[in-house]
Amino acid sequence: MRSPLRLERRLSQPRSLRWLVPLISIGAALVLGSILMLLTGKNPITVFQRIVESGFGSKTALRGSLIAATPLAFTGMCAAITFRVGIINIGGEGQFFVGAIGASLVGLALGGQPTAFTIFAMIVMGMLFGGAYAALVGVLKARFHTNEIITSLMLNYLAGILLNYLIFNSTSYWRDPRSIGFPAGKPLEARAWWPKFELFGVQIPLGFLIAIVLGSLVLFLYRRTRFGFEVGVIADSPQAARYAGMNTRWKIIAVVTLSGAIAGIGGASDVGDFRHILDAKGLQLAGYGYTGIVVAALARFSPLAAVGVAVVIGGLTNAGYALQGPDFQSGLVGTLQGLLLFTAVAGEVLTRYRIRLRRTTTAS
Amino acid sequence: MFEINWGAMNQEVAVRMTGIVKRFPGVVANDGVNFEARVGEVHALLGENGAGKSTLSNVLTGLYRPDEGTTELNGVQVSLASPRDALSAGIGMVHQHFRLVPTFTVAENIVLGEKNKNLLINASEVCARVEQLSTRYGLAVDPRARVWQLSVGEQQRVEILKVLYRGAKVLILDEPTAVLTPQEADTLFATLRAMAKEGRTVIFISHKLEEVMAVSDRVTVLRGGKTVGTVETLSTSTRDLARLMVGRELVFDRVVRVGMSEPSNPVLEVSNISAYDDRGNIAVADVSFVVGRGEIVGVAGVSGNGQRELAEVLGGMRPVIAGGFEVAGIKVTAGKVRQSIKAGVAHIPEDRLHTGLAASHSVEDNLVLKSYRHKPVSKFSVIQRKIIRRHAVELIERYDVKTPDSATPVRLLSGGNVQKVLLAREFSADPRVLVAASPTRGLDVGAIEGVRKRIVEAADRGVGVLIISEDLEELLSMSDRILVMYEGRIIGDVPTVQATREAIGLLMGGIVTANTGISNAGITEPQS
Amino acid sequence: MNSNLLVIIAASAVFYGTPILFAALGELITERSGVLNLGVEGMMLIGAVTGVWASQHVPGTSWFVVLASIVIGATAGGLVAALHAFLVITLRTNQTVSGLAITIFAGGLGLSSYFANVWNVAAKPASHPIRVLDVAGLADTPIIGPILFHQTILTYFSWLLVVVCTIYLFHTRIGMQLRAVGESPQTADAMGINVVKYRYIHTIIGGILAGVGGVYYSLAIVPTWVDGMTKGAGWIAIALVIFGFWRPDLTLAGAYLFGAMQSLSLTLKARNVHINGDILDALPFVMTIVVLVAVSSGWAHKRIGAPAALGQPYEREER
Repeated sequence: MRSPLRLERRLSQPRSLRWLVPLISIGAALVLGSILMLLTGKNPITVFQRIVESGFGSKTALRGSLIAATPLAFTGMCAAITFRVGIINIGGEGQFFVGAIGASLVGLALGGQPTAFTIFAMIVMGMLFGGAYAALVGVLKARFHTNEIITSLMLNYLAGILLNYLIFNSTSYWRDPRSIGFPAGKPLEARAWWPKFELFGVQIPLGFLIAIVLGSLVLFLYRRTRFGFEVGVIADSPQAARYAGMNTRWKIIAVVTLSGAIAGIGGASDVGDFRHILDAKGLQLAGYGYTGIVVAALARFSPLAAVGVAVVIGGLTNAGYALQGPDFQSGLVGTLQGLLLFTAVAGEVLTRYRIRLRRTTTAS
Repeated sequence: MFEINWGAMNQEVAVRMTGIVKRFPGVVANDGVNFEARVGEVHALLGENGAGKSTLSNVLTGLYRPDEGTTELNGVQVSLASPRDALSAGIGMVHQHFRLVPTFTVAENIVLGEKNKNLLINASEVCARVEQLSTRYGLAVDPRARVWQLSVGEQQRVEILKVLYRGAKVLILDEPTAVLTPQEADTLFATLRAMAKEGRTVIFISHKLEEVMAVSDRVTVLRGGKTVGTVETLSTSTRDLARLMVGRELVFDRVVRVGMSEPSNPVLEVSNISAYDDRGNIAVADVSFVVGRGEIVGVAGVSGNGQRELAEVLGGMRPVIAGGFEVAGIKVTAGKVRQSIKAGVAHIPEDRLHTGLAASHSVEDNLVLKSYRHKPVSKFSVIQRKIIRRHAVELIERYDVKTPDSATPVRLLSGGNVQKVLLAREFSADPRVLVAASPTRGLDVGAIEGVRKRIVEAADRGVGVLIISEDLEELLSMSDRILVMYEGRIIGDVPTVQATREAIGLLMGGIVTANTGISNAGITEPQS
Repeated sequence: MNSNLLVIIAASAVFYGTPILFAALGELITERSGVLNLGVEGMMLIGAVTGVWASQHVPGTSWFVVLASIVIGATAGGLVAALHAFLVITLRTNQTVSGLAITIFAGGLGLSSYFANVWNVAAKPASHPIRVLDVAGLADTPIIGPILFHQTILTYFSWLLVVVCTIYLFHTRIGMQLRAVGESPQTADAMGINVVKYRYIHTIIGGILAGVGGVYYSLAIVPTWVDGMTKGAGWIAIALVIFGFWRPDLTLAGAYLFGAMQSLSLTLKARNVHINGDILDALPFVMTIVVLVAVSSGWAHKRIGAPAALGQPYEREER
C-alpha cells in the first residue's frame, strides 16, 4: 500500500510561503467546516456570513471581538514562546487561572488605592502567580526530565479545581459573602477597573495594548538578546548548546516561567478589564488556554503575530457567543478552531516539502 | 515480488545494473551508473564519499527507486520496489549503520520480518537454527544475547547472519571495516572469500584502497555519480585505483612541517583522568599524557574505546570521576565548557553538524557560537548583528567557505564546508590546544587535504594538537606521536617514526607485545 | 475504614478504572508502533457522544443496542485516530501538535459538543445503558463478589484484552515486528516490514479502544451526555502508558489505582465520610504528576520500555 502522495524535501523555503501557507490553511479549514455543516444540515454560507457580521461587521462587533481577543493574545503568546523552542507548555489555561487568582487578590485588597497603583499591582501579581505556576512545570522538566505536556495539563485541571474551591466550596477571601444561594466572586471596586481607550470609535481594552507591547518585547528578546540567542541554539540542538557552554536547565525553566507569567498577566487583564470578579465557572468554560494553542500555531509560533491572529480567532469566538442558539451550536466554534489547527499543522508540511503525485510505475 | 531461481545458475552474471539514474532535490546521486557483478566473486565498489556508492546499493536493495535504468538478477529483469522485494529476490545488505533493534535478542533480530506460518514465536527453536548457521560460517555469537550488549564487531556478525538466514545470494557490505581493527578486518575478509567460494556474490563497498586490493576479485570505480570503469584487481595497483577514484594523481606523503614541535614544552597535561560514558559505565580509565607546544599527537583505537569521551572531557562537556588536566600550566576545572574555552581549548567534536554546530542556525550565528557572550558580539546582553555579519564575511573569505551568504543555515552546506565553518570558529579564538575527533571523516579527498593543512598550520603556529581518528593512515601521515586507546586506557605511546600499521593494529585490539609495549615507559600498565 | 468500605472502593476502582484501561491499552498499542497520539481525550469524547446517540436511535433488543453503541463509538474513535495517522504518518507533521489538534477539534469544546447539540443527545439519558452483570450468580460472594463478578461486560472484555495484548506484543511474530517498527523503523523497513501499514493500523486500533472507553463513560458510568464528561481521563491514560513501562499488565494495575482515586469522592460521600471533595477531585491529577516525576527521574535516561522511535516520523528517502 504505497500512498499516491510523495513528499520531496525542500532545500530552501521560498519567502512567499510565509503568507501563502496560512492563507491556504484557513481556506482548507473553511472548506472542511463547510462539509461538516452540510453533513449536519446547515448552510455554511449563511453561517460564515453571520460569523463575519457579528464578529467584525460593526463597531460593537469589533469591540466584542477585541474583548474576546485579549485573553487569547496572552495565551497565544504563552504557547508560542514555548512551542517555538520545542517545549510544549499546554498549561496556559491553568497559568491564566492562577494569574487571575493572584490579580484579583490584590485587586480586592487594594480596591481603594489609586487606579494606576492597583493596576500595576494586579499585573505584577498576575505575572508572579502565573510564572510561579509555570515554573513548576519547568523545574520538573529541567530537573527530572518529566514530560511537560502531561504535567502542564494536569496543572490545568488542578487550577480549575482550585477555582472551584475558592468560589464554590469554601468561604475564601475571593468569594462574595453576600452570595449565599448562588456562590460568586467578590466584585472589584470600580476604582480598580482597568481603563479602556478609544480608537476610531472602537473601544480597546488596556489588556490588548499590554499584549501588543509584550509581544514586541518578547520578539526583541528572542531576536536580539543573548538570552534569545541561547534559547534558539538550545531549541535547535541541545547538544550544540551544551558544547558551547550554555546552561540548558535554567533556560528551560526561564522560558516556561516567562510563558506562564504572560498567561498570568492575561488572567489579571481578565479580572481587571472585563469580569471584575474571579469568575470560576466562566473561566473554565472559556478554554482560553487551549484556544491559545490554535492561535499560536496559526501565528507560526511568532509572539507578535499571535496578537494579530488572536483578533481573528477572537472575532470567531465573539460571533459564537453572539449567535449561540439552536441554529448555531456551541461546539461549532471549537470545531472550526480545531479544523484550523489541523490545517495549520498540515500546512507546515508545505514549507518543508514539495508534494508530488507519485508516478505510477508499472511492475513487470 | 520476484522469486529468482538462483538454483538454475546458468548465468555468469549475478547482478547487472544498467544506466541507473537517481536524483535527489538538488543533486544527481547516480547519473547513469553501470554495474555488473559475477557469480562467486568479491566485487568491490570503490569511490569517494558522495560518489554514489550508497545510493547505488540502496537502489539494489529496494530502498530507493531509480528514476531511470534497469536491474537484472541472474539474467531476469526486476523492479525492486521495497527491501521486501530485494530480500525475496536474494539480495541482502549489511549497512554501515547497522539495522538492528538494540533491545531485541540476536535471534529475534535475525528472524525479524521472516515469512512464517507460525503465529507464535518458538524462541528455543529459533535460537537453535541461528546457532547452526553461526557455526557453519564461523560467525560466533550468542543468539540469546541482547544486541545492545554486543561489541560492534559482534553486531556486524549478526548483520551478516541476518542476510545469510534469509538465504541471500548477493551480499552487499557498506564500508564494513570502518568499525573493525585491522586484524578483525582480516577475519572478515576470510569470511567473505569463503562465501564467494560457495557461489554467492559479495559486493564490497569501500573508499579504502588497501582493503579493496586485499579482498576483491574485481573493482568498479564510481566518481561523481558515474561509473569510471571496472578492473581486475590482479592487474591494477593502489596508485591506479586512486587515480581512477579521484581523477588525478594522489600522493600519500607525510605532511611537511614548518614549525617545530616541542614535546618538552607542554601545553596540555592530562593526569589520571577517569570518566563515565552516557550509560554510566567507565569509559576513560586513569588516562595520563602530555601534548607539547606545536606537537601533533594522534589517538588511535577502534571506536567506542573511550576516545570520544576523552575528547569531551577536554572540551569541558563531560565531568571526570578522578584526575584533571592543565592547559599551559593552568589547571582547568573539568566538566565546565566555559572553563575549557577560556583556557584555550578548541574542540572539534565527532558529530560536527549537531554538536559542533547548531544545524538550522546560520553560518554567521555558528561562527559566534562560543563568543556571543562577550563584547564586541554582545553589548549589555544585546546581540550586535552588524558585528556578527562583518566577522562572518571575514572568516568566510579567509577560510574559503562555499556558502550562498552568511545567513544560510549550515545544514545546507556540504560536509567539507561544514567542517570549514567549525575550523574557522575554533581557530579564530586563537587556541592553545586543539582537540579534534575524526576531523576528516566523511569528507571527500579535496576537503580532507584542506582540513589537514589547516590543522598542521595551527601546529606550526604552536598549537598543541590532539587528533582522534580511526583512520590509521591519517594518524601515520600527520602525527608526531600515536597513543593507542583500548577499553578506556592508553596502552601504547609510539613515536610515529617507529610505528608500523601492524603494531598499532595489534594494540588497537588490546594485544601488547614486547616490542610494541609502551615506549614512553610509565604511562599506564595494560589491562590483563 | 472497615473492610466493607475497602471492598466498595476496590469494586469501584475496577468500575471506574475500566474506561481508562481501554484508552491506555489503545495508546500503548499506538505508541509501540512509534506513534504518539495525544488526542486520546478527544477520541474518547467522540466515542462517548456517538455511543449515546446510537443508544438512543438504534432499534432492537437491549443487548443488541448496547453492542451497536459500542461498535459505533469504537468506529468513531478509530476514524478520528485515522485522521491523526494521516497527518503524522503520511504528511509527517509534528505528532505532538497534531495530537493536541485532535483534542481541541474533537474535545469538550469542539466536535463532540457540536454533535451533542445537533443530535440533541443531552435531552434524555441513554436508552440502553451498559449495566453491571451478576456473573454466574457470584456477585453476592463476600469480598470478591462485588469486585470481580459485579462488573459490566466491558470490564470482562478489558481483562481479555490485557491478556491478548500481552501475547500479541511479546509472543507473536506480528507483535515482534510491531515492536521493531516502534524501536527502529529503519531496521524494520530493511527487513521488509511495511512501516507505514503497521503504524496506520495500530494508530487506528488505539482510536478504536479510546472510543470504547468513551462509550463506557456515556453508557455505563453516567448513562447520559455531559460536555467534556471524560474530565481528563484521556490524559491520565497517556500518563498511564508511561507508568506502565509500555506493558499491558502494569497498565491494568495503574488504571485501577486511578479508578480508585476517581471514585473516591463519590464513594466516600455516599458513605458519609467527610473529606473535602475538591481535595479528592484533585487526587488523580496530583498523583499523576507525582508518579510521573518518580518514574521519569529514577529511570529517565534508561527510558525503560519506551519505544526508541516514539514520536519520530519515518522517512525512507532521507539523505
